[in-house]
Amino acid sequence: MGFSFDSVAALPSIGGLATESATVAFIQPSTALQLLAFAVLLGGIYGLVALGLTMIFGVMDVINFAHGAMMVVGMYTVWWTATAFGLHPILSIPLAVLGLFAIGVLVHLTTISSIMDAPQENQLIVTFGIMLILISAIEITFSTDPQSLGLGLGSVAIAGVFLPLGQLYALLISISAVVVVWLFLQRTQLGRAIRGTADDRTAAQYVGINVPRIDYLTFGIGAALAGLAGAVIPLFQQINPYLGDSYLINAFVIVVLGGLGSFPGALLGGLIVGFVHVFGQYFLPGSGYQISIFLIFILVLLLKPEGLLGGGVSE
Amino acid sequence: MRRTTSQSDRRSFIKYVGAAGTLGLAGCVGQDPSDDDGDGSSVVIGSNHPLSGSLGGTGTRMDNAVQLAAMMKNDNGGIESLDGAELEVISEDNQGNQELGGEVTDSLIDDGADVITGCFSSPVTNAATRAAERAGVPFVISVSVDDAILQDNDLQYAYRPQPPASQMAVDHAELMPQVIRDAGRDVQTAGLYYINIDFGQSVRDSLREELPNQDIEIVEEVSIDFGETADTAVTQLADADPDVVIATTYEAETVELVRAMDNQDYAPPFIAGCANEALNDVGALEEMGETVEGALPTNFALNPTLDRASEVRERYESEFDESFDANVAMTYAATEVIIAGIEEAGSSDPEDINDALSEIEVSDHIAAMPPISFDENGENENALAPLFQVQDLDDRVVFPEEYAETEIDL
Repeated sequence: MGFSFDSVAALPSIGGLATESATVAFIQPSTALQLLAFAVLLGGIYGLVALGLTMIFGVMDVINFAHGAMMVVGMYTVWWTATAFGLHPILSIPLAVLGLFAIGVLVHLTTISSIMDAPQENQLIVTFGIMLILISAIEITFSTDPQSLGLGLGSVAIAGVFLPLGQLYALLISISAVVVVWLFLQRTQLGRAIRGTADDRTAAQYVGINVPRIDYLTFGIGAALAGLAGAVIPLFQQINPYLGDSYLINAFVIVVLGGLGSFPGALLGGLIVGFVHVFGQYFLPGSGYQISIFLIFILVLLLKPEGLLGGGVSE
Repeated sequence: MRRTTSQSDRRSFIKYVGAAGTLGLAGCVGQDPSDDDGDGSSVVIGSNHPLSGSLGGTGTRMDNAVQLAAMMKNDNGGIESLDGAELEVISEDNQGNQELGGEVTDSLIDDGADVITGCFSSPVTNAATRAAERAGVPFVISVSVDDAILQDNDLQYAYRPQPPASQMAVDHAELMPQVIRDAGRDVQTAGLYYINIDFGQSVRDSLREELPNQDIEIVEEVSIDFGETADTAVTQLADADPDVVIATTYEAETVELVRAMDNQDYAPPFIAGCANEALNDVGALEEMGETVEGALPTNFALNPTLDRASEVRERYESEFDESFDANVAMTYAATEVIIAGIEEAGSSDPEDINDALSEIEVSDHIAAMPPISFDENGENENALAPLFQVQDLDDRVVFPEEYAETEIDL
């Protein structure tokens, strides 16, 4: 009875431990369920991180290297307003979203808009520069020391599976954000204009859509989603100015894996990467899980280059 | 009339700004260590630490420790054997990047450093010590744990007062089980939790060798990368159910471990740390709370039995308004070794300082270890990482007895 992962456990492990010890030869159902819960929690957050990235790419064809840095600004907004002004972290999250929306619009108007028609490497360099500026500003303002809200929210146990409340709240916020953004794109005039622009920028201009306005709003919404993704992280983790990088690397994988510009793809990709991440960490030594994530990424690029749900924001 | 007054004001303004600028420039030039005429009026220590980047917080505190040691020596009359020559510290930022280790060392030497210290991150120190070797300038490692830095390279100009990874593991594997067993408790199995970089891997390797010598079987090893959560790692450790979980990580990863333990309601009989930053940091201990009460880390340490060590700690905290941790203590002690080397050499010439360091024995230092002297590899022959216990969320040295500030409580 129960899940046997004997063949997986026979993989080379830490210094030959797997072959010397029977401790990893069998995984209990409770452990498998626990890991599954962690995979869903992590995958949901990854999906949220990838959402803003895929939206900006889907509509504007811009790869935003500053996405991770914008997450960090979201993290520090929540931490700072909570510690300096005593504002409840959950109430600080909308502030981070609004602040990042404003930063996104400002960044677009002052830098990206003038190079929208330039070769794509120009946008890469500019967003890379913005990343450096944002991270340096955080370093100078708050130092490089790790910071924490020290919430200690604890966990709930359901059928022997522990669900850390910090991650659970983060997941619920992620799901809510996805629903809100999806409804916005599907049900509002502006959302339809964004989808129209994502479909065909030239045609959108011909039918009277103000594409430059759509661009800065899209960049603002993408930045706001980055801010939201960052804002939920202090609920369960210490933060530092470089934490965005850890999430961003996998977010790029998710965006390509799910399909460039695809919202459902970002969520599906997030869950897949979350699953590989958590189970890979359990069964593989060292950074083997990260190698597995990149192997899947390469396989998808070779077998289905448009991604699992390739399409676009317009879908 | 008005016009004349306006012109006069403008001329005055330009004159004063020009004078101020000239004075400012003169001040800058006057402070350039490369202008040292070599008459022995000052000796320059180069500080090569991460002042920005993910290690920037600790690196800045370590750099401050170098500055403070020089400041206190100058306050006490400077280098006696050089007729009161003052110590000068020049600092540069290696950002924790390996590729900058050698570059910063070269730059410090170009700027006049007679002796160098650094670098915290082992790969950076590896590169930095090689650059110093090429230039023939002595390098006293402030903090860097990897054995390979000195033991895999034939360096004649590099010295390490702190215990390296293997010594940390030897001390941990001996001291931690001994106090547990002396207290009538038992420890037979261990789970290792380490940061998956050079630092964590080197300590893990040494613990693998040393723990079995103390009849402790390693039943699980889990690693964590920067920015990761420890949820899966704790599930693995809970499944393996070791008697003691030994953490070798920086602050964030240890805080993560404890958070995940709390969330999964997992409490091993003992929590320990080998070269663990968080278990020697009061701020981190307060954040981790009751879960780490009674934890048993080994690390280099300030000698709690010395009044002078307490004075240094108080001066540091008032001077820089920052907490004084084990890395600061070890860096201060390393700078004390440099200062002793300069005194012994009676010269600011790097060759003379190097000759002195190779033969030196420094008894008057603030670290909790016997007199510091170096073997042929440049390793401190008497290096020691004493055992602490977290008591009332403070790190207190409990063993060996000669450095103990309080008794073990198990």
